[in-house]
Amino acid sequence: NLSLGQKGFKAPTAYKTGTTIAGIIFKDGVILGADTRATEDTIVADKNCAKIHYIAPNIYCCGAGTAADTEMTTQMVSSNLELHRLNTDRNVRVATANQMLKQHLYRYQGYISAALVLGGVDIAGPHLYSIYPHGSTDKLPYVTMGSGSLAAMAIFEDGWKPNIDLEEGKALVKTAIRGGIFNDLGSGSNVDLCIITKDKVDYIRPYEESNEKGKRQGSYKYKRGTTSVLTKDVIRFDELDIEVVSEEAMETS
Amino acid sequence: MSILSYNGGDVIAMKGKNCVAIACDRRFGIQAQTVATDFDKIFKMGERLYVGLPGLATDTQTVSQRLKYRLNLYTLRENREIKPKTFMSVVSNLLYERRFGPYFVEPVIAGLDPITAEPFVCSLDLIGCPMITDDFVVSGTASEQMYGMCETLWTPDLSPDDLFETISQALLNAVDRDAVSGWGAKVFVIEKDKVTVRTLKTRMD
Amino acid sequence: MAYDFGLGIRAYIANRVTDKLTRVSDHIYCCRSGSAADTQAVSDIVAYHLDFQQSETQEAPLVKTAANLFRQMCYRYRDQLSAGILCAGWDKKEGGQVYSIPLGGMLIRQPFSIGGSGSSYIYGYVDSVFKPGMSRQECEKFVENSLALAMMRDGSSGGVIRTAVITEKGVERKVILGDKLPKFFEG
Repeated sequence: NLSLGQKGFKAPTAYKTGTTIAGIIFKDGVILGADTRATEDTIVADKNCAKIHYIAPNIYCCGAGTAADTEMTTQMVSSNLELHRLNTDRNVRVATANQMLKQHLYRYQGYISAALVLGGVDIAGPHLYSIYPHGSTDKLPYVTMGSGSLAAMAIFEDGWKPNIDLEEGKALVKTAIRGGIFNDLGSGSNVDLCIITKDKVDYIRPYEESNEKGKRQGSYKYKRGTTSVLTKDVIRFDELDIEVVSEEAMETS
Repeated sequence: MSILSYNGGDVIAMKGKNCVAIACDRRFGIQAQTVATDFDKIFKMGERLYVGLPGLATDTQTVSQRLKYRLNLYTLRENREIKPKTFMSVVSNLLYERRFGPYFVEPVIAGLDPITAEPFVCSLDLIGCPMITDDFVVSGTASEQMYGMCETLWTPDLSPDDLFETISQALLNAVDRDAVSGWGAKVFVIEKDKVTVRTLKTRMD
Repeated sequence: MAYDFGLGIRAYIANRVTDKLTRVSDHIYCCRSGSAADTQAVSDIVAYHLDFQQSETQEAPLVKTAANLFRQMCYRYRDQLSAGILCAGWDKKEGGQVYSIPLGGMLIRQPFSIGGSGSSYIYGYVDSVFKPGMSRQECEKFVENSLALAMMRDGSSGGVIRTAVITEKGVERKVILGDKLPKFFEG
């Protein structure tokens, strides 16, 4: 790849999540929030992608950075924790998930670009971590990550207070994510929320459709037969019997 | 220039009512020079399951062979046809294994569930991040043009014949605005009881 | 009795209340400066080794042991790490101790030590004020004043002061918020 780079080829772009993700600890648990836009350079690749990943029944994780990295990292940790849960017959702790994620990311020295917000409730109460691609972590009552993190953090710094209740918490996280959606170009579309309490997980997707699509006025439908076809083969089958019917070359238009 | 557009090529897939369609252009070139016009980028992975692999042509072939290999092992071990979503995970894992030296292909998968006949389309990036949609997916050098075409042409619940027109026109008009793709097109319309394969007449410039 | 010297440092404050004082055992703490990822990883590993040693020997680990573990890690991986660590604590054998492990992985015991980006601003202050055998109150005041001065002059230090006083009885943590810092001449 290095030699290709020297020959003047630009490295191809992978899907990234120019993202706003955020989380807070509220009175009885954790609220995670995320926008739903995936970008590939400046193209919007996915208008409604899920950035809140499942880790364990009591733990979820928002991901920003290269989409494949966040997806694969959380999947791997999730499966390892499931094995851990079955082996120990106990609910896994958020600290365990945090340690596994940071050790994995540290091993790759930042080359796996996954910036995560990890939240969950375990035997010791609610926990919220932010994890950077290089493998450092912070444990805080409110965190934001991704390209829209500054916009979202501004909302938190203004509106956060300790022991916030559920409705206020949901509204605060929603406002923070909306801050990212409307002020950061890399973030957009809807707000997803995930509320984790001691004995319940509420994954609301979408929590709010911030941008509604306009109604279509006319139809651009093409009439049948517009496209000129050179050959047409039909492979018919019912159940597993395959029957190939070949037709004459057809010419329309 | 990106290595992904070295050979040129596009794949597009769309959902319809109880059917899906996947289409590709047929050009194989080396930068501006067209070498072949019968290079198909869509591969059959099951009765009602197809995968398109636009990108670097050498990786198109390598990845299609490796996928077929993994798929055969799966079918042998499980003794049943693979679900499109499971196949997506196979592709995703294959690509992510090469996280730091990837295959330069951005696959598109289209198919019907072997049991329920539920339509499925998805695309992946070159390191295997899956993206499932309920309308359409595009990939290749003319992806921006195809996004534009699809956003206007696609409507929900298209019948197989209408779906064919929609996907064909979306692809054709997009590749006409892309110098390194075109030169013929192939369209697969997948239904519960049959797959219709059509090659299209296109501009050859 | 001995006293630990906390230092708070870090460029754009991803987190304005970061706890850079990290526990590695009940009576040993370290202050981290440099890359957060590196220092967290190193102190996690050292904490693990000390925990392991403690449960095997049924004795509280020595500060010297902890400092040497830091030194080993920092020296072996000196090309890959950017970590400056102050390690301090209390043990039965030698009482209160302060060790400094700067960038290359050297280990040195000092009566007091300072580190991190803001430390260069306050060498003059600490050298002029420090005297051996200070009382607990004197030590605390010394540390707080040093930090406030460093945070004033260094653009990338700031936030709150966190201190930990480690004695035979254990650790007493204290936080001095931004508006409660000792005031000096501010131009």
